[in-house]
Amino acid sequence: MSSHLNFLFPCSMFAAKLLLSINAFMPLKKLLLLFSVTLFLFSCYKFGKKPENETWTSTPKVWGYKPVYASSETSAKAIVYSAVPQAVVNAGNIYAFHNYIFQIDPGSGIHVIDNSTPSAASRIGFITVKGCTQMSIKNDKLYTNSYDDLVVLDFSNLANVHEHSRLKGVFPELRYYSPIAQPPVSGWYECPAYDKLVTGWTRDSVYQNCFKN
Amino acid sequence: MRVLNYLYVIAFTAFISCEKSTDSGAAAANTVGAGGSLSRFTIAGNYLYAVSSHYLYAVDISNPALPKKVSESPLNFDMETIYPYKNRLYVGSRTGLYVYSIDTPDKPVLIGEAKHGRSCDPVVANDTASYSTLKGSSVCGPATSGLYVYDVKNVNNPLLKKTILIDEPIGLGIADSALYVCAAAGGLKVFSIKDAYDPAIRQTLTGANFVDLIPYGDVLICWVAEGIRLYDISNRLQPVFVKQVAN
Repeated sequence: MSSHLNFLFPCSMFAAKLLLSINAFMPLKKLLLLFSVTLFLFSCYKFGKKPENETWTSTPKVWGYKPVYASSETSAKAIVYSAVPQAVVNAGNIYAFHNYIFQIDPGSGIHVIDNSTPSAASRIGFITVKGCTQMSIKNDKLYTNSYDDLVVLDFSNLANVHEHSRLKGVFPELRYYSPIAQPPVSGWYECPAYDKLVTGWTRDSVYQNCFKN
Repeated sequence: MRVLNYLYVIAFTAFISCEKSTDSGAAAANTVGAGGSLSRFTIAGNYLYAVSSHYLYAVDISNPALPKKVSESPLNFDMETIYPYKNRLYVGSRTGLYVYSIDTPDKPVLIGEAKHGRSCDPVVANDTASYSTLKGSSVCGPATSGLYVYDVKNVNNPLLKKTILIDEPIGLGIADSALYVCAAAGGLKVFSIKDAYDPAIRQTLTGANFVDLIPYGDVLICWVAEGIRLYDISNRLQPVFVKQVAN
């Protein structure tokens, strides 16, 4: 092996020296096997370039969506109740409990409907729970998810719906596959960073590295 | 006299504790709500069961201030929905119907399955039968769309008894001998299931795009694309329109 080659393949120096030192003692077949294994181990390594510095220069940027990240995960996952009903953006799962009907607005929160008199049923409020997709109720405690957290809400007093407890990160799949983890419409978008929390999307020019059908 | 006082206190305490336990017993039955058939969260006893695409979780909620994850079962099929009935969880997935026993509530055990073609499928069940809707589509898979009726008397081996073709079935629900099936723009199909394995269509309600529903006492709560639609189902097979709450 020349020094030039050793410069290009710094990590294979050891393997090369090993090869050189043993080639006198080994039959050709074993040597070939050892060589191919070494080649295989280095086959995916891009020499002279750190993977994180890679840019997708081969494809041009296009108009698409860029993720908006939470500056603080705690405040992004905060629970807020408002006695002002909100318009439904995305309709999701429904739930009935005593005189109430709940409907998830995936990613943003839970609509509350008063059904004490069905003929006069009406929207009465909205619980902001970012990243929510599911809910269930037992004994005046509402169990829902904020992204990957299980959040328990106390709504024994509707005017004062508040967080009762929280189990952080219990549903990992609901963090990355929640509706808010993808842009609202189909097209190219910038793949979200896995260590950050997506709270929304903004129009921007992006590389063609993630696509929503 | 002092002894008498003690006796009185003991008797009163016993009375109170008895009263309390019957109270909470009666209340417990009423304090769990009802979800639509497309739900992925459900509560049975002191446990919250949740499915995400590839996991079934059991979370102990006996102390709501301190929920504890007690089991996490990785699964190699796409979980879609979860429906509790007695000591079983009926899980609809994109590849079939899966039945879990929760006799040991902190560790659900898979006890039966019925595979079908790839599709989306919520499921509801009673003692003898389970009903699934399969929606073939580009996203869900190519299975034939319709209502699939299974005999679940032997839960280890659900038997497909009947298939009723419906174009775009989604959520569904049971109230006594009535089965309601949402069929998107095709309306709400009302079936009699007096013969559990041979649902008989009674009527189709139109006027909205039906997605999912919850039979809740005498009210049928429907999620329609336009909002929430309520029907009176005092007569189970003859829903009467009451009100639509717009989006």
